[in-house]
Amino acid sequence: MANTKKLSGRKRDERITAYAFVAPAVILLIAFLVVPMIYTVYFSGFKYQIMRPDAMKFIGLENYQKLFSDKNFWIALKNTVYFTVLVVPFQCALALGLALLVSKKFRGVSIFRTMYFSPQLTSMVVISVLWTVLYNANPNTGLINSILTSLGMDPIKFLSDADTAMNSIIFMSAWQGAGYQMMIFLAGLQGIPKDQYEAASVDGANKFKQFLYITIPGLKGTIKYVIMITMIQAMKLFTQPYIMTQGGPKNSTKTLVYYIYTQGFQKGNFGYACSIAAVFFVIVVTMSMAMKKVTAATD
Amino acid sequence: MERLPQTFLKISTGVTTVPVMADEKAELTIWSPSDKEAIETWWEEKIAEWNEANPDIQVKREAIDRSDSYAYDNKIATAQTSNDLPDIFFVDGPQVSYYAANGITVPLDDYFTEEDKADFVDSAITQNTYDGKLYAIGATESSVAFYYNKDYLKECGVDVEDLDSRTVENPITWSEFAEIAEKCTTDEYVGAHIIMDHGEGLPYALEPMYLSAGKDYISEDGKEADGYVNSEEAVKTTSFLADLIAKGYANIEPIQDEFLNGACATMIGGSWDASLLEESAEFDWGVTYYPVNDDTKEAVSPCGDWSAAVSKDCENVDAAGQFLSWLMNTDNVASYAAAIAKPATRVSAYDTEAMADYKEGPRALFKEQLENTAVPRPRTPSYATFSSAYAEAMTNIFSDASSNEEVDEDYIQSELDTVAETFTEDYETYYAE
Repeated sequence: MANTKKLSGRKRDERITAYAFVAPAVILLIAFLVVPMIYTVYFSGFKYQIMRPDAMKFIGLENYQKLFSDKNFWIALKNTVYFTVLVVPFQCALALGLALLVSKKFRGVSIFRTMYFSPQLTSMVVISVLWTVLYNANPNTGLINSILTSLGMDPIKFLSDADTAMNSIIFMSAWQGAGYQMMIFLAGLQGIPKDQYEAASVDGANKFKQFLYITIPGLKGTIKYVIMITMIQAMKLFTQPYIMTQGGPKNSTKTLVYYIYTQGFQKGNFGYACSIAAVFFVIVVTMSMAMKKVTAATD
Repeated sequence: MERLPQTFLKISTGVTTVPVMADEKAELTIWSPSDKEAIETWWEEKIAEWNEANPDIQVKREAIDRSDSYAYDNKIATAQTSNDLPDIFFVDGPQVSYYAANGITVPLDDYFTEEDKADFVDSAITQNTYDGKLYAIGATESSVAFYYNKDYLKECGVDVEDLDSRTVENPITWSEFAEIAEKCTTDEYVGAHIIMDHGEGLPYALEPMYLSAGKDYISEDGKEADGYVNSEEAVKTTSFLADLIAKGYANIEPIQDEFLNGACATMIGGSWDASLLEESAEFDWGVTYYPVNDDTKEAVSPCGDWSAAVSKDCENVDAAGQFLSWLMNTDNVASYAAAIAKPATRVSAYDTEAMADYKEGPRALFKEQLENTAVPRPRTPSYATFSSAYAEAMTNIFSDASSNEEVDEDYIQSELDTVAETFTEDYETYYAE
């Protein structure tokens, strides 16, 4: 009996210790994630001009009704999905390719690893400003157009043409982000036993077959993780359109998060911005769950 | 029910409103945009001078970075939601009505006599007045005019002496402006530079074109945009601007300091550009009055600058009023205007030694425009919404003209209609009685 009491006492102590360890994280999550989320949903039910919280008026689902007939919301959603659908495979493939390159052992490989990872260490604001100059339509200013014109080609209005602006942002975003995913893939590659490659080689499998039947299955878990985090990051696209294009030209780079920002802070429609944020949250969660289901089905 | 979030925010940010007792020391915090070194030094000296002479009202300033056209206003909006507004904050001219209408700022009439007000240029007092009350006070004004590279224009066969000889009664017309731009556009140069900041710079610098054509952006009472910003006159004016882009006379993505760097022949530029050109231009340049509409010939010029306002959260409005009354005296206005290289708001400031260079040359021209042709931007609580909607529409219109190399008036009409709709929705939702 005394022994049982002693055990349950120890269990209780362990439980208290466990709670003490998770408490800081839980408190921070509640304060900075759960409470703001509850408030977002709460404010979305109000006509709320950011400067006039005292004049807030409950309007029920009116903001949501307005949202679904707001063509700018649908444009922003379409742009966000377009960006995500293109950038995720492009960035992941680029990252995997780079990881395969730098996973080889050769002299100076760490320099290449550092080079490919270095855009990650720079602020996205700085990168965006830099690429705005690189993309400048004037060949005297924009390096890329300077190269194109020196090759006898016409300059391209990368950021001031609605047909090219989003694709230009996709390219620079993948360039900036691939280094991080490369490091994750690199860690994944190192976890694949070398004897599998040796056995395949003995059996006559060429490099491509080794990649297809050993590397890809070996990286399955890593690929799922990388796709998931890249997709969630892509859905939150804000800095690049904010710095480089201000959502233009012709709304071609207006994303959902950028639209939330302009509605909430530039135009002061705080209640309406909250309703977009709430819908955005549902969309991201739905897409993440769908992605999880799809990848689970492939196991 | 509505009070709940505010209560939570107050608790979470630790904000309480404790009235200041008469015998306690008042502490005032000022927010203003960070600026060049001369202005930062001016602030340090003036605050030290005030704090030494007024131990019972101590002042400190926080310089707020103004990374883009709307970033500073966003900071104010965020501070308002969390009850973190400072006692005094600087605000751009057209935003005065927005803050006043929303009860964010308090009137300052008690701290400025009629005699004081009469010493300020009309445009400054008009811009800072809402509903008959003075809500902000500023030391400096601004203006915009037509700059030209004399060396290059002569090479292109433009009569520079004619430009030099223009007066406020006889400025160049927009057709003459377009002719010069066409003549001067080559592989190395574009003919003209239009302020292209994708933000407040656009409605600010371009409004006189619309006014000279006969219609402002918004009705005089600040309540209507439909029939104004999307009027026939406005479409025609916007088409003229888009045509400059379509024909390649102006860049849609100009480089930094395009005129100074010798990449464009002329520029619709601000009064603040004069000092930079004096310091750094490696060519002979001139400046003449803001162009006028060909038909009406009515001379109008932009104006407006940052002004100080006292926030609703200020616990000692009297102390703030006293401080601003001192900060905006003639000597301080003159030294501030000289340091920031902008025209002063007080007429008496121009008699001081600090403003001696406003007697002739480019600065005298800007002063002359302010006294004779300046019209403040619309005074409406929905200005913030209007400004961002107009800037977005103009960016779209310029992009369309640039891509298609021609002007589509139907597209311009639809974009300006969207601006009018956006304004109307905001005004009707939050301010209409």
